[in-house]
Amino acid sequence: MKRGIVHGLLPLLLPYCALFCAGLALTLAQSLGLFLPLGPGEITAGYYQNLIQDQGVKLSLGLSLSVAFLSAAGSVLGGTILALALWRMPPGLRRIGVVSKVGLILPHVAAAFLVLLMFSQTGLVSSLLFQTGIIASPEEFPNILHTGNGLGMILAFLLKGVPFSLLLIGAVLFGFDIRLIQTARMLGAGPWRVFWSVILPRLLPAMHSAFIILFLYAFGSFDIPFVLGESHPGMLSIRVFDIFFQRDLVQRPQAMAILTLMFVFAAVFAMLYNRFAAYLDGWRRKL
Amino acid sequence: MPTIIVLALLFLLPVVVLILQAGAPGWRFPELMPELSFDGLRFLAARPGPFLTALASSLGYSLATVALTLAMTILPAQVLAFRSFPGKNLLEGLLLLPALVPAMTFSMGLHFIFIKIGLADTTPGVILVLAMIAYPYMLRALTTGYMLMGREYAVCARNLGAPAWRVFLDVELPQLLPAMAAGASVVFLVAFSEYFLVFLIGGGSVASFTGYLFPLITSSNRGLGALVTLVFLTVPILLFIALELGLYRYHRKRWMG
Repeated sequence: MKRGIVHGLLPLLLPYCALFCAGLALTLAQSLGLFLPLGPGEITAGYYQNLIQDQGVKLSLGLSLSVAFLSAAGSVLGGTILALALWRMPPGLRRIGVVSKVGLILPHVAAAFLVLLMFSQTGLVSSLLFQTGIIASPEEFPNILHTGNGLGMILAFLLKGVPFSLLLIGAVLFGFDIRLIQTARMLGAGPWRVFWSVILPRLLPAMHSAFIILFLYAFGSFDIPFVLGESHPGMLSIRVFDIFFQRDLVQRPQAMAILTLMFVFAAVFAMLYNRFAAYLDGWRRKL
Repeated sequence: MPTIIVLALLFLLPVVVLILQAGAPGWRFPELMPELSFDGLRFLAARPGPFLTALASSLGYSLATVALTLAMTILPAQVLAFRSFPGKNLLEGLLLLPALVPAMTFSMGLHFIFIKIGLADTTPGVILVLAMIAYPYMLRALTTGYMLMGREYAVCARNLGAPAWRVFLDVELPQLLPAMAAGASVVFLVAFSEYFLVFLIGGGSVASFTGYLFPLITSSNRGLGALVTLVFLTVPILLFIALELGLYRYHRKRWMG
């Protein structure tokens, strides 16, 4: 019995250990100064100490966290509103939601490209404002892509994240048992009350899943920041990339130390967030 | 009505902008109406080599990633759907990690190992690392598929004397096809649109569509970049349509004779 379970899981556990765990182990080892390309070194925590003192890393961490939070929260909010709006339409019209698949299919690199085309100072929106006489020169258009707070990146993440949230939340909403709402209405609940007490609690699990996936993706992603990112302070992923490829090999443990901390953060965040969401759901149910 | 406008602005306008930009590479501030030209198309027609290589390579490793993730997860999904054992929740959580944590964190270390064992700069290396970030989607889809199917059909077939492989092929597989198609679509998209991992592990010797697109959008050749992005949109759409049609035909043949 037991053996069957282990055998059944092996096709996945083997590559998991050989690729994922081994890759992580090596990242960790190199961050401690071991198994470096220049030869085996001595174990040291010095690279982590460097990180704590490095102001630039703190700025990058702040940018990564704020971009990830704003883009994930905005995506979940936008996806939920769109899903609700589509849900209120007659089922035949609801199919137009299929156009959101465009955002799902576009690679992140292309989403960043679109933001460049639309929102750069010589982009489409700027041209439109110029033609209508609202601005007199491209310099008057707000420099959205270089504000230092990652607004351009957030726009690109939203283009990818809104349809993703719509997909997850719509899947729950479009299969919603309409009788629950009818019952609530019959018992005298107003539209807002129905939303807060009947609809929202059932959407929350999907909203939490969407948020956690999008938040962690944006936190560690490379493609969009590489196209749109500003160099200072720069997202954490870009900082790692710069140290890894553009400075000499001696610096590599520094990059690996940042990566190790990013992994720990992502894993702990995912775990705590799940606990927290489960706790909140349990608490709601008791009410 | 406002919903339709918002949807169109969010998702149709970008496509329109891409089409206009592709048809007018010389489109610059502050013109609104572009002047039509086919320079982008002409450029691709004159030098189709790198473009087609990148497209074929991306399609190849993405489809291979789909096949590999399917092979990796089909048995484990069954175990996770039907069996219970101590530590199952923890294991399920751990198995989702590769899709949640930043891919950089393990791939940079893995890159070093791949250099040592000769998998760096090769297509198999790229497929392995892509399968690692994408398999959780296939695992989730298949586990759900098995749960919806239940065990009763398989048990019934076994009781009627069917060998294990026939139970799988004739009873389970047909019912799992929709779940497989759903998982495969996501895995394909993840692999097909990944830029960084192909660039890191493939090291420039594995051609990719994203790698072809990247220099175009950061350079001034935006018309060509837009054209290539449009192809990027069309290829998965065509594949998904083919998949839907294939499934539809299969079911019609199977259930209606």
